[in-house]
Amino acid sequence: MSLLTVRGVTKRFGGITANRGISFNVAAGELVGIIGPNGAGKSTLFECISGFYAPDEGEVELDGTRLTRLSPDNVCRRGVARTFQKLRPFQGMTVAENVMVGALTRTREVRHAREQAHEWLRRVGLLEKANAHARTLSTGQRKRLELARALATQPRLVLLDEVTGGVDQRSIPGLIELVRELHAGGLTLLMIEHNMRVVTAVAQRILALHMGELIADGPPEAVARDHKVVEAYLGQAYTA
Amino acid sequence: MKTYAGAIAFFAAAALAPFVVTDAFLLDSLILVLIWGSAAGAWNIAGGYAGQISLGHSAFFGLGAYAAALCGVRWNISPWWGLLIGAGLASAAGSVIGFLSNRLRGPYFVIATIAVSQVLLLGAARWRGFTAGSEGIPVPFRPGFWTLGIADKRIWVWIVLVLALVIYLVQVYLERSRRGFQLAAVREDEDAALSLGVAARRLKVVAIAASAAFTAMCGAFWAQYVGFVDPLYVFSVDLSVRFSLAAIIGGLGTALGPFLGSLLVTTVETWLRAELGGLGSHLIGLYLVIYGIALIVMVRYAPQGLVGAMRGWLRTR
Repeated sequence: MSLLTVRGVTKRFGGITANRGISFNVAAGELVGIIGPNGAGKSTLFECISGFYAPDEGEVELDGTRLTRLSPDNVCRRGVARTFQKLRPFQGMTVAENVMVGALTRTREVRHAREQAHEWLRRVGLLEKANAHARTLSTGQRKRLELARALATQPRLVLLDEVTGGVDQRSIPGLIELVRELHAGGLTLLMIEHNMRVVTAVAQRILALHMGELIADGPPEAVARDHKVVEAYLGQAYTA
Repeated sequence: MKTYAGAIAFFAAAALAPFVVTDAFLLDSLILVLIWGSAAGAWNIAGGYAGQISLGHSAFFGLGAYAAALCGVRWNISPWWGLLIGAGLASAAGSVIGFLSNRLRGPYFVIATIAVSQVLLLGAARWRGFTAGSEGIPVPFRPGFWTLGIADKRIWVWIVLVLALVIYLVQVYLERSRRGFQLAAVREDEDAALSLGVAARRLKVVAIAASAAFTAMCGAFWAQYVGFVDPLYVFSVDLSVRFSLAAIIGGLGTALGPFLGSLLVTTVETWLRAELGGLGSHLIGLYLVIYGIALIVMVRYAPQGLVGAMRGWLRTR
């Protein structure tokens, strides 16, 4: 049974078609990676799923309910949370308060939200920073904060936009381990990832985008060998 | 309790002042400090907590002032009704501006709010048959509580103190409640808030509408207290600046800040006018220059305002 269904999604900006007729499914409990060179349309696809963009054509469904044309906050309440490629913590708030904003989407009690926020911070390994201001965190810690904040909305599906992007090399293994743990805990994840090594290490399945189109969908080894994918990344000279 | 010590001291002092102070000038100053503080607090709901900086809040103040005055003059009904009608009209206008805030950001929103207040100014100044036009409208003095014809300034202190307390408590709610956290998230980063399920647009509209309604109530009390409504004053940009200035100096997004800011601004203004006015009329406008300098200094060195600066000072001790 598919949790997320993307059917024929097309998004144009003037003369540019950022997504062209993209269709795929994500089953509950899957961890799916999205790869593609810069400008392939990965982020646009995320914006279409999370409600920040309305696709020009096509539908996005979560467990049979349509998400297309719902506002982003409604999409979140229906069970899709996301992180941003360019990190956007609430700078003026503490780490715990950041996570509370997510938790308050599911609970009316501030006290309850605070407890939940601490629990999520413990799970992502940021508990000792709970009372620190978000602006004092390192990039790797901010990534964890964004994750905790998104998880606090109790999503059924999490969209991760470049979870290791811009993070120093030493912090990457820890973040990958965290993603693995969350997946092992039953969470469904769809992650955009630039770093091929990261994505092949964690994803069960990979979608490859190129020039707005889905050019491959399959297990990591198969997609990495797919000649269209190799061509898109390295140019024609390497495909022979 | 410790968090509220400042507020308890401030409001208790205001409540007890009429028992001690008999000087009419001091009581008058206290009433104005409370009215301007309330208006700055109402402004703070939108400008501080929701992050929607408006320089057109005189629009709502004027609506409240006119509603209270016209109820007495035109229909001979209680200004209390005028207060409610003014608050209703202002929250409707505030909703419209709230919708604008979803389309316009930053300076464009500020300009739109100024435009709204200026449109109302022109309307009030030109609609002679109803508002008495630009010469303004005297508020009839009919003795009694129901008609808000009260000569005793001590009673006025307590009346406006109730409004001030209500506005203070609304702000405290916005600091501690679920809605308050959500609004703070919208202020920090609207897209991030949306992605976490916060209904940002609706929340902003409600905040601006509430801010407008409370500002109108301040206008209604002010009209009844002062006894005269002049469109060029109640709809002026000067007045809008006064509300925002008191809130910014006192501490943007802090509950007591607007009242402290108003206390400081009103006191300094009165003092400067008295000091400089005597030397020759060419210096009387100098208080505006001092306002400007004070604002620059505050924004540069204490962006959290008086309340923020005091918190910082207490922490380092």
